[in-house]
Amino acid sequence: MKAKQIRKLLFFGAIFCFTITQAQTTVSGTVTDATGPMPGINIQVKGTSVGTQTDFDGNYILENIEENATLVFSFIGYSTKEIQINGDTEIDVNMEKDQESLEEVVVIGYGTARRSEITGAVGMVSSEELSEQPSVNPLENLRGKIAGVTVFSNSGVPGGDNKVLIRGQGTINASTEPLYVVDGLQMDNIDYLNPSDIESMEVLKDASSAAIYGARGANGVVLITTQGGLKGGGLAIEFKTNVSAGVMANKRNSLYRPMNSEEFMDVQRIAVENAPYFRDYPEGDEPKLILENDLLFNSQGDPLYNTDWEKEVTRTTFSIDNHLSIRSGNEKSSTGLFINYTDDKGIIKTSSLKRANVKFSYNATLAKWLSMGTDFRLTQVWESVPEVEGSGVTAISRAITEFAPIFPVKWPDGSYSNSTQTGGTSLIQEGAPNPVSVLNEVENLVNRTNSNGSIFADINFTPELTLRTQFGFVNKKFENKYYASKEILNLGYPDGRARIINNSSLYWQNENYLTYEKSLNDSRFTAMLGASWQAYDIYDSNISVYGFNNDFFKYNNVGVAENSNPPQSNYNDWSMNSYFFRGNYSYNDKYTMTVTGRMDGSSRFGSNNKYAFFPSVGVSWNISEENFMSDIKIIDMLRFRASYGVTGNSEMGSYNSLATIYSGTNLIGGELRSTSAFARLANPDLKWERNNQINVGFNLNAFNNIIELEADYYYKLTSDLLLDRPVPSITGFTSIVDNIGEVSNRGLDLMISTRNIETSKFAWTTSFTMNYNKNKVEALGENDEDIFPGPFWVGGSQTILRVGEPVGSFWGYKRLGIWGTDEADEAASEGKLPGMIKRSAEKQIIGVGSPDFRGSFINRFNFGQFDAVIDLQFSQGAEILQQFVTTAEDRQALTNGFKTQLYESWTPENQNTFVPMIRHTVLSGQDLKVDDHWVADGSYIRGNLISLGYTFDNKVIDKLGVNNFRLSFSMENAFVIHSNDFKGYDPESNGQWDDSNFSQNIFFYSYPKARTLIFGLAAKF
Amino acid sequence: MKKIAKILLASVFVLTFCSCEDFLEEEPKSQISVDQFFKDQGDVESVVNSLYGSGVLNRYRTGDFQINEMLGGYLSGFFENERTERPGPFEANNLTLNSDNLDAYLFAYWRDAYDAISRANTAIKYIPEVEGISASEGNRLLAEAKFFRAFNYFHLVRDFGDVPLITEPYESLDNLYVARSPSEDIYSLIIDDLNWALTNGDLPKITFYSNGHRITEGVVAATLANVQLQKAGFPLLGGAESYAKAADAARLVINSGNYSLTSHGETLENSAFNKNRTSDSSNETVFAIEINQQYRQSNLYALTVPKYAAVPGVIPGDVWIVYRPLEEYLRIYDPAKDLRIQNHQLWYSSIDRNGLTYDFNGNWAPFVWYDEEALFETGKTERDIKISTYSEILLIAAEAIAQSTGVTSEAVEYLADVRSRAYWNTDRSQIESELAGLSKEQFIEEVWKERLRELPFLFKTWSDIQRTRMYPVTSAENPGEVEFVNVIGHINPYGATYQEKHLLLPIATRVKDRNPEITGNGY
Repeated sequence: MKAKQIRKLLFFGAIFCFTITQAQTTVSGTVTDATGPMPGINIQVKGTSVGTQTDFDGNYILENIEENATLVFSFIGYSTKEIQINGDTEIDVNMEKDQESLEEVVVIGYGTARRSEITGAVGMVSSEELSEQPSVNPLENLRGKIAGVTVFSNSGVPGGDNKVLIRGQGTINASTEPLYVVDGLQMDNIDYLNPSDIESMEVLKDASSAAIYGARGANGVVLITTQGGLKGGGLAIEFKTNVSAGVMANKRNSLYRPMNSEEFMDVQRIAVENAPYFRDYPEGDEPKLILENDLLFNSQGDPLYNTDWEKEVTRTTFSIDNHLSIRSGNEKSSTGLFINYTDDKGIIKTSSLKRANVKFSYNATLAKWLSMGTDFRLTQVWESVPEVEGSGVTAISRAITEFAPIFPVKWPDGSYSNSTQTGGTSLIQEGAPNPVSVLNEVENLVNRTNSNGSIFADINFTPELTLRTQFGFVNKKFENKYYASKEILNLGYPDGRARIINNSSLYWQNENYLTYEKSLNDSRFTAMLGASWQAYDIYDSNISVYGFNNDFFKYNNVGVAENSNPPQSNYNDWSMNSYFFRGNYSYNDKYTMTVTGRMDGSSRFGSNNKYAFFPSVGVSWNISEENFMSDIKIIDMLRFRASYGVTGNSEMGSYNSLATIYSGTNLIGGELRSTSAFARLANPDLKWERNNQINVGFNLNAFNNIIELEADYYYKLTSDLLLDRPVPSITGFTSIVDNIGEVSNRGLDLMISTRNIETSKFAWTTSFTMNYNKNKVEALGENDEDIFPGPFWVGGSQTILRVGEPVGSFWGYKRLGIWGTDEADEAASEGKLPGMIKRSAEKQIIGVGSPDFRGSFINRFNFGQFDAVIDLQFSQGAEILQQFVTTAEDRQALTNGFKTQLYESWTPENQNTFVPMIRHTVLSGQDLKVDDHWVADGSYIRGNLISLGYTFDNKVIDKLGVNNFRLSFSMENAFVIHSNDFKGYDPESNGQWDDSNFSQNIFFYSYPKARTLIFGLAAKF
Repeated sequence: MKKIAKILLASVFVLTFCSCEDFLEEEPKSQISVDQFFKDQGDVESVVNSLYGSGVLNRYRTGDFQINEMLGGYLSGFFENERTERPGPFEANNLTLNSDNLDAYLFAYWRDAYDAISRANTAIKYIPEVEGISASEGNRLLAEAKFFRAFNYFHLVRDFGDVPLITEPYESLDNLYVARSPSEDIYSLIIDDLNWALTNGDLPKITFYSNGHRITEGVVAATLANVQLQKAGFPLLGGAESYAKAADAARLVINSGNYSLTSHGETLENSAFNKNRTSDSSNETVFAIEINQQYRQSNLYALTVPKYAAVPGVIPGDVWIVYRPLEEYLRIYDPAKDLRIQNHQLWYSSIDRNGLTYDFNGNWAPFVWYDEEALFETGKTERDIKISTYSEILLIAAEAIAQSTGVTSEAVEYLADVRSRAYWNTDRSQIESELAGLSKEQFIEEVWKERLRELPFLFKTWSDIQRTRMYPVTSAENPGEVEFVNVIGHINPYGATYQEKHLLLPIATRVKDRNPEITGNGY
């Protein structure tokens, strides 16, 4: 037997038998701190799993322990004490507050701050919390972790489709995304960042913390710190792998599933039978159901096929996600190398995302007064993106429900079916290719190459005064290649269609700031002063051709295509120049005051408003440090915070302040001639949206830190909204960008952490976060006129902006029911018949897409070597506008649809319903309008994560040269409990309206989310 | 002190790292800023170029499962759209249209028209300022711009009545809220613009096709004839004076010698109507929207086949009849005499394909837009969309002459030209003698009937009702016979009764919201 194998045997043997025999004794005593006895203190015999806790009077007793054992006394917020027994039987211990924990530092913009001196609202997620959920996109780890930070996961697409909203929507036309700052480098998204090397994420929620980012801070700021080299010295290697299986998470409510062939044919038959009810036909000329097509029907007229399109286009997937980090360091320098490869496959066939990621980090102290460092990241992403969400008939998620089940995937001759192939029958189906053919014969590939990095130098002029100068860049290249085969109706038929889109962008920033820190007696003073230059440009081009002789060349040789659309290219840039400062003064660890200011200049704004100033002030009062509080034992820490500040939102397109001429081409005489027209009126006064925010909050630790509570109330008012202000069409312009209007958000962020049970054998902690937000449009346009921002679909904008109402309020009719037989006369006066939909006369607000309450309830357990997490997330108070109701239920016979068409539709015997009488869309017309029958309660509770981990005892694995070895098994998106009215896959989506600010919870069909089972392995060497 | 100096020094270093003056200047590269523009002929010419196929011309080519200009046909109650779910056709058929339910549609109409007017105004303002442009080139461009301004205003005034009169381009946000001007003023501008173009425009006196699809004298004259004819009737009642001017404008087209009615070939497949259908460049076309597979597409060919006919091999995924004539309309033709109502002339009720006949269940559809190659082979049509034809000009001339000077032989000849081509088995002299014997009123009604039969695809059905306020009532027993009754109070085939307000379209809610000076049209 080789040594390696012996070690292995020992390793596993050790797990199962662990027995020790030595001289034993019993120890007891009392644990106190400056204020008296301490209950709930952890006492553990070092190197064993034996331990106990102090009782309410601070007393403890430990039996049968070794005479020379060492006891470890620990408690959060206190220094851990180790005491060797040396035969003593009574050991009293005096615990001391941990100075280090008091001085725990938090990353804030351009520096760090002591946690106890934060005056604003800053949420933090530690690396332990981040690594709980094995995910591909770092935003998924942020979900539910910080009150007031909402991460909407709007799709099951590989890599996720997340939208982050911090403390409600404070803008109408500008971006709602927060600013991301990764190791000091500003970015507009972090979608392809490797989540495993993130050390911490901090979110600056209020104006006092975010104002240091001025005109880019209005939506909040997410600060991300990633790991670097090893500070202390040595070598650390970490390997993690996750293997996951994704399955369809939610089968829809059975009535809202597509009809099978038999049901589909029933509706076809009834629709034809009903045709004379809706329109007069000369005797004998009534439509008849003819089914003479032996590829589709047998001689009795029964369908030959019954295809379940959901089953045909979905799959159980297996994905992998591997991470390797190698970190080393010595006194002078440290190095880190981080590698990640992910292959994430979607549950819709052919959809996938592969990502390779390398990060290199190097830091060196060159002299006592100089240190330097660099970070460099390279990411390559390959995506296959079939059109799952879309409003057209070719969208996969739509075809699942609407493509008729009577068609096969392929005909006996091997060709794909499409819905026009109904020859010989009287069936009329909306023309569409079958969804499997779209998946297999339409390629939509996206390649991204992102590189970014920064280099910095710290110069210490004096021990108190440091200059940091940093240069960073983000370079992105995007390539989209598309080909639709000649076979595919609507997309490539008859002669193939190819498209290539390229764009590349470069962002760079240079930031220099001085930090001065000074402590004097009871006072501590920090000041920071800096300047920043940023510039961005993007160039894109696209080519679109059609007319191929065969499907061979695709996008690889577009020159062979016979026709092309005019090629296009476009250039865009912006730049910013800013100056900023922060002063922080703290007295006696009780009173802190922070003042910040930033002067931002941006090219995107009018010549009269190039620069703006964003100030803020915040104060905090550590009441528990006051003498009069020392008697109140149940309170361990109580701190009040209050802040006010101004931030801006400049995230809008470039050149909006300039009068420009649009140039293009127009067909005249068989050729393209150049054209031009005024594109925009000048607005030299154009400026940023201004966001004024008040934050009042407190932190409370009580009952020996068993409960930690953080609560913040905020009110933010965004004024000078960047609005596409509608102007009369007589000007030749539809709208101009102007600063008009106000939106307010007010709400409450609440976070409660409790340590429910804490023994040496079992620990249970709970964390509850919640945000309540109320959003209101305060003013609009010149005369507070309503604005209809879209999404535009079936008769106009489906949301409205109206003063006094929340942004994104759904706009439509009320469905009063279905006209009954006893209402025939009244119906006739509106041109309707009994059996048709009865709606209100006017459109009105029929729902709101953003929730009142959102939050999470996370329980964490530790027992022995096991750990477990149960992470529940909830949302309450939002509605969902289910646009698919219009085509799947109200529009009948033209496509397949929900079973409700057959089982719940109006008949003279079933008049109490909201589903209209079966009516052949083509023969008898239809009546589609947005109404509140589309609306469902969007509240839900989601089993976001359930995981179980086992960490091997270090003693055992040490011998294998492994420091830490953990296995885990988790289930993501384990379940969703939602209202019965909801008819789709997942209540959280914005479907194909991704680009609209107002589309949350408005969707046609959406990419179904997977339930994912993940097996994870992590080892540190 | 040394320390403070150090701090100050460092601060200065940080803040002045780069203080370039122009760092925040914007210089767009894929758009042109206005001050760089209107320097030479190419600049103003490109503004004029943008007017082709745009503005209200868009309405003849695009729409959501219909063609927008078809709204008049739906309002007349004679045509319906099989795709009923889109707003427009249903509301128009049933006269339940209003500012809200047709907001998207009405707003787009208004916006597109003023968009084109604004560009025309820009060209009209800047052409005279460009240096180095020859007088004749400048006048030609000005004439084109003025033509398009008039053409767009004509549609607005016809369908909305009084509208804001804007003759200068907007270059700032001053004077945003302009009230509606009286229709008379709008007509004055239209007529002035068109007359200017005819008098000073140096426009070629050749056909639209020979002129590379650019505006010619004939296009302007044909539009002027239309404008004067419309102005002569309701609501302005320009009367004999306007009719006389309409006749003059029509004669300018007729006497130019550039245009003629297409004549029949040997077979019915090769009739004049089929020749016009399959060929763009016939001398019968006066003005059209140019269509091209690549750069300006039309889906009219796909909107004229019923889905339920299930014709195999149709390339567009969806085909529909969006302009289906009701029986009440088809009865304006006498099937015994009139070639136009024979299958596969102007209309059709079945498709013959690969030796099989696919029936339309007794329905008829416009054959004029049928394009076999586009339907079954390419998925794209090359057929232009006709806006004005010679047969229309002949009919305008016949009516205008009769109205202003009586039933002259000239008027009879023009009407007979059109009718005798359609009555392919009837002797022309018989037609002429019948017409010559009619009273003025009878003759004019004959012209109206002929317009209904000949021009359904120029969408004249509703604009004729607007100007004459007479509704054609056909007869089930005697097809071809038409009685004209007062439209107000008349009940259309959908059971809806016309009121005076229906003769103008509602003003879109969004138009009213954006401009408090704009009042509605009584809906």
